[in-house]
Amino acid sequence: MAPAAEGSGSDPVINYLVRRLLALVPVALGVATLTFAIIHLVPGDPVVAMLGETAAPADIVGMRHQLGLDRPLLEQYAAYLGGLAVGDLGESISYRKPVSRLIAERFPATIELAAAGMLVAVLLAFPLGIIAGSNPGGAGDLGAMGFAIVGISIPHIYLGPLLMILFSLDLRWLPLTGRGGLEHLVLPAVTLGTALAAILARMLRQSLIRVRESDYMRTALSKGLSARSALVRHGLKNALTSVVTIIGLQMGALLSGTLITEIIFSWPGIGRLLISAIGARDYPVVEGCVLTFAMTYVIVNMATDFVYAIVDPRVRIS
Amino acid sequence: MECERLASILLLSRQSRITRNAVLTVWISEWTARLRFVAQIAPALVALAGCGQYRTDRSPGTIQVDIETSPTSTDPRFATDATSSRINELIFDSLVKTDRNGQFVGHLADRVEHPSPTEIVFHLKHGVRFSDGRELTARDVIFTYNSILAPESMSPKRAGIEQLKSIDAPDDYTVVMTTAHPYAPALEMATEGIVPAGTSLPSKENAAAPIGSGPFQMVGYARDEAARLERNPYYPYPSGAPRSILFKIVPDPTVRALELAEGVCDFSGNNIEYDVLPWLGSHRFLEVSRTPGTTYKYLSFNFRDARLRDLRVRRAIAYAIDRKTIVNTILRGTGRVATGMLSPENWAYEANGTTYSFDPTKARQLLDQAGYTAGSNGMRGLRFEYKTTPEGARLGEVFQAMLQRVGIELTIRTLDFATYYADIQAGSFDLTSLQWVGINDPNSYYMVFDSQKTPPHGQNRGYYSNPEMDRLVEAGMSTVDPKWRKKIYGQVQQLAAEELPYVSLWWVDNVAVMNRRLVGFDAYPNGSFRSLATVTLSGPGGGGQWQ
Repeated sequence: MAPAAEGSGSDPVINYLVRRLLALVPVALGVATLTFAIIHLVPGDPVVAMLGETAAPADIVGMRHQLGLDRPLLEQYAAYLGGLAVGDLGESISYRKPVSRLIAERFPATIELAAAGMLVAVLLAFPLGIIAGSNPGGAGDLGAMGFAIVGISIPHIYLGPLLMILFSLDLRWLPLTGRGGLEHLVLPAVTLGTALAAILARMLRQSLIRVRESDYMRTALSKGLSARSALVRHGLKNALTSVVTIIGLQMGALLSGTLITEIIFSWPGIGRLLISAIGARDYPVVEGCVLTFAMTYVIVNMATDFVYAIVDPRVRIS
Repeated sequence: MECERLASILLLSRQSRITRNAVLTVWISEWTARLRFVAQIAPALVALAGCGQYRTDRSPGTIQVDIETSPTSTDPRFATDATSSRINELIFDSLVKTDRNGQFVGHLADRVEHPSPTEIVFHLKHGVRFSDGRELTARDVIFTYNSILAPESMSPKRAGIEQLKSIDAPDDYTVVMTTAHPYAPALEMATEGIVPAGTSLPSKENAAAPIGSGPFQMVGYARDEAARLERNPYYPYPSGAPRSILFKIVPDPTVRALELAEGVCDFSGNNIEYDVLPWLGSHRFLEVSRTPGTTYKYLSFNFRDARLRDLRVRRAIAYAIDRKTIVNTILRGTGRVATGMLSPENWAYEANGTTYSFDPTKARQLLDQAGYTAGSNGMRGLRFEYKTTPEGARLGEVFQAMLQRVGIELTIRTLDFATYYADIQAGSFDLTSLQWVGINDPNSYYMVFDSQKTPPHGQNRGYYSNPEMDRLVEAGMSTVDPKWRKKIYGQVQQLAAEELPYVSLWWVDNVAVMNRRLVGFDAYPNGSFRSLATVTLSGPGGGGQWQ
């Protein structure tokens, strides 16, 4: 189902898309500038990190020259932006490979993890939110919201090992670490998705409680629909709009969560690449990874706006 | 429905206790059966979803070793970090190697001669082959050293062999190294791993790992994931020894411990947190091995701070730190209180030096003598900044508490490693604690205490300067006679213990946790993985052999 188009002439959806895509340019520029400034301003030398403390000073100077790190910062910045304009993210200092290739190698793993985390979040949040929202104050509500509080409170770094101990060490159902088949994805996805599930469940509960008091719900009940049918057929769709918005906004948290989750589960994604690049002061890789995360976040939010229009007929793309 | 049913059962109590109990028993047994059924089918459901009893991808004869970081280079001409060195040791042979006592013994060299103080002759073994079948000759040795020395290679190892004046090969099995001056630790230059002549430098076009003549060859490497080694077909190996080794990069220490406990990982060396060692040791299929190590942990002072140039202040700090308690508690006994950089296993170790046992009263007296008298709150107006990484913050807090007892205030600044390292190199710290790994020749004293060896020329990061120390360490470097060297380094160690450019903390034990299916692991004081090539595998082992 495509977002509804209104009027004649140029397609408003296309117009909207073009506008949003054009808006990516200043966002990318801002992110690139900020990342460049921060990573170059913090202490640390990529050449020393690469060659080691025992390297001859002449070699350090030579390597710095070879990498262009001895040029004025503004010149380096201009070169970086010039590269970005033609889609060149530069070359990794420590890997000696194009950054775009490094990111392309790892991006699928991160997206796989983030998508699975989102799926887990939605699969957990919807039943919990519906149970809680359909009978506020009841046992189901207490249980679901208890889960939500625990889910929000447990950091990934603690939940991950707990799940490993239970499902890998004790039950021996799932592997501890690494990327492979579906079995490798379960624990990282649950670790990543639990906090988001808790947030979504709470949000859905609130929305359902709000719509329960709406006139159309009363009308539905007066027509003879059972409370459950009315909630599922009429209330849920209306309650979804705010939940979809939150899903988009929480994508940032989900992506940043992949950093920790990838470290815990030895998941070969961009998060691990970024962490090790920060340690090695591999400037091009840090800049490329942060830009990729930022762009992913913005694009997901664009997609969310489209979904928003689908679940809420009052919203039109224009 | 079930809640309603349970409520109705409980209501039965009004009618008849016997009836109620009977119905309740039936209800419980029904639910027990259901739960049992769920428990029985759950693994099947999980298996259907692709989550069956997890199988490791280890083939028979493969062992998994968990390491915390990726090796920075798979080329021995460029690898300087400990992880790379330990893996490369299994792939590449060098002219000489160190034995368990840190003494140099022939490796590729059958015989080593010293015809003059500036000349070393290596007679190579015949029939040594690279993993592609080529025979290793003097030509490969010359090529390896020349490629390190070539300016365009920018090898970080160049500084380590800068004393080399020339390297020649009179024939296929003889290598002659000549130094410009008598250079005592010259044999250290002969520990570089040899690659075949013609091996290109690593570049973006050539990312393949070079081959070597050691027991293994690298057959796969994905940075941040794993490195896979398989036997060099031309290298003899004992029956029952591992045919391949999977070095898996697992950055989280808790997860490394869990992988050992699950049996996925067979070996983890010096990268398990002390706190989990007792728990790992409680697993019957795991063995926790502790052997004396040479890694030296120390507290360093910045001599550019006038207060720290005062020997009484440095000594007060040395007396205020209860190293024995730290070793016994935080390190859980996995270390020895150190007296200097060289451990007792080293041939040049000097046992008769000044020692500083825990004595806070003496520390206070020294601070009083230095003019830092205690105020009403017990503090002396001495405030230092202790820089550390997140991993070292806990130790910093212990130092902070111990120094506070004698009236010294320590503020802790925790930085990420790159920032911390940059600050230490720039001399931007008051106190810090670091460690030296792999100390072998006492010439290390020259690199860390000679006044000319401040960064970026050396590792005298505290800017310590003492003409007597300079004279001794320079003499130790150029004196070839081992007896004289031992005497010189005895004086160096005594002077260092007296002057305290470092407070010696402890020598870290080598702690290896391994699956008991690995038999015959021989721990080296420097933490080498070398004996992984010769261990034998006894049976499937415990903990996680999913078949």
